[in-house]
Amino acid sequence: MLHVNHINAFYGKIQALWDISLNVHEAEVVALVGANGAGKTTLVNTISGLLRPTSGLIEFLGKRVDDLKSHSIVELGMSHIPEGRMLFPNMSVRENLEMGAYTKRVWKNKHKTLEQVYDLFPVLRARQRQLARTLSGGEQQMVAMGRGLMSNPKLCIIDEPSCGLAPIIVQEMFGIIGSLRSQGIAIFLIEQNVQQTLEIANRAYVLENGRLILEGNSQDLIQEEMIKKAYLGL
Amino acid sequence: MITTFLDIVISGLLMGGIYALIAVGLSLQYGVARVLNISHGEFIMIGAFGTYILYKTAGVNPILTLAICGPVLFLIGFFLYKTLFKILLAFSDSAEIFEGKSLLASFGLLFIIQNIAILIWGADIKSYSFLNIGVDLGGALFPANRMVTLLFAVVISMTFYLFLAFTRMGKAIRAAAQNPRIAGLMGVNINQVLALCFGFGALMASFAGGLLSMCYPITTTMGMEYTVIAIIVVVLGGLDSIVGSFIGGFLLGIVGSIVTYIEPGLALVAYYAIFIILLLVRPTGILGK
Repeated sequence: MLHVNHINAFYGKIQALWDISLNVHEAEVVALVGANGAGKTTLVNTISGLLRPTSGLIEFLGKRVDDLKSHSIVELGMSHIPEGRMLFPNMSVRENLEMGAYTKRVWKNKHKTLEQVYDLFPVLRARQRQLARTLSGGEQQMVAMGRGLMSNPKLCIIDEPSCGLAPIIVQEMFGIIGSLRSQGIAIFLIEQNVQQTLEIANRAYVLENGRLILEGNSQDLIQEEMIKKAYLGL
Repeated sequence: MITTFLDIVISGLLMGGIYALIAVGLSLQYGVARVLNISHGEFIMIGAFGTYILYKTAGVNPILTLAICGPVLFLIGFFLYKTLFKILLAFSDSAEIFEGKSLLASFGLLFIIQNIAILIWGADIKSYSFLNIGVDLGGALFPANRMVTLLFAVVISMTFYLFLAFTRMGKAIRAAAQNPRIAGLMGVNINQVLALCFGFGALMASFAGGLLSMCYPITTTMGMEYTVIAIIVVVLGGLDSIVGSFIGGFLLGIVGSIVTYIEPGLALVAYYAIFIILLLVRPTGILGK
């Protein structure tokens, strides 16, 4: 459903992505791993329209999206849950979630979707009137995930959902990602937690210094010497 | 004593209502659209003169003119952003550079609008008499036009607050003010929302101008004073808080009224004093974070 073809992108004057090509198919979990500064966030920002590639082609559901702005891309059914939660700090939990359903496609059904998100994260129902900035890190991540799901996406890009969270919350996040997969939502997941990410993903790409250096089935990659050394500490 | 007190408070509220409208307008343009619009006061002047001209030439009721001038100035503001400021934004590498460029551009707008106005309407002080009858409030007599002005200032501000709090577009505006990039990820067309905010800013200015003209004499050079007051109130309320601008407007109105009672010439001096003290003590404003 997502095809990225030979894209190059610059961060300011520095080239951050070199000739990247990748695919995400329907109902698939694809992981993107790599060290800090490898360009993972730049890559997903380019896919979701926050950054424009200087060359190359991005297609989503058969439609060319590399020249679209992010607000048009989310309308097509791609949801980007950004790194660092990025909530609207002075809006309530409920308002943050409602903003996730801003697109015309889903706004009318927002009450129904809201209930589904509350069922997924019951603690948010209890905190729905609280301002987002008063929540704990784990709760904020839940709002970020819930907000991303409010647009009823076909593809969910999740950037570092476990960043800065306590281990028990991290487990909860992986549980949620698993349940999204079973609902048939395709997931493009970026994570520092490589072991667990490879366990949940069907396939994975490895990004280093802005270039994809390795790709394959997760099970095969776990066995790869290079991955073991660089990311699994074995 | 009580009559004097009531007199000061009510005059303060009257002026405060206008200040609140002006400041909410600037807050939308600066807090959301990142344009520190130095020509804000010129839109107030256009609103005031539009009301004056329509009343004098066609006898149109000034309250009705609010509903005529408002939408016209909204459209002017909207398309001004869509053309001038959008081009500036496209040629700015960062938000800071855009802020600088748009500030200079709005300075240019100030001179262009003001000079065209002087060419058309001249530089004399103009005024008309509307609802100039006394209303007795606890022993103090207040002109009915000022009561109408206060009423409309409060109703317009409240309506706008409800719009921001409860509608889809209002939520988009607040989200865009807090994080425009992420609002875009949610599906908000940022350029459209910023243009709307600029338009709403001009709409508020137009309303304020129309209301001002019902109570005070107007001139084509009146704009700058109100721009300065709007900037003070926006900083007073907190740059990112539209509610803060509303509260700040009334606060400054009351202060102005007290100072004017003691020494009429010192009101602007008091405003600047508050501004300087505020920048030293609490630069984030009353409701700023």
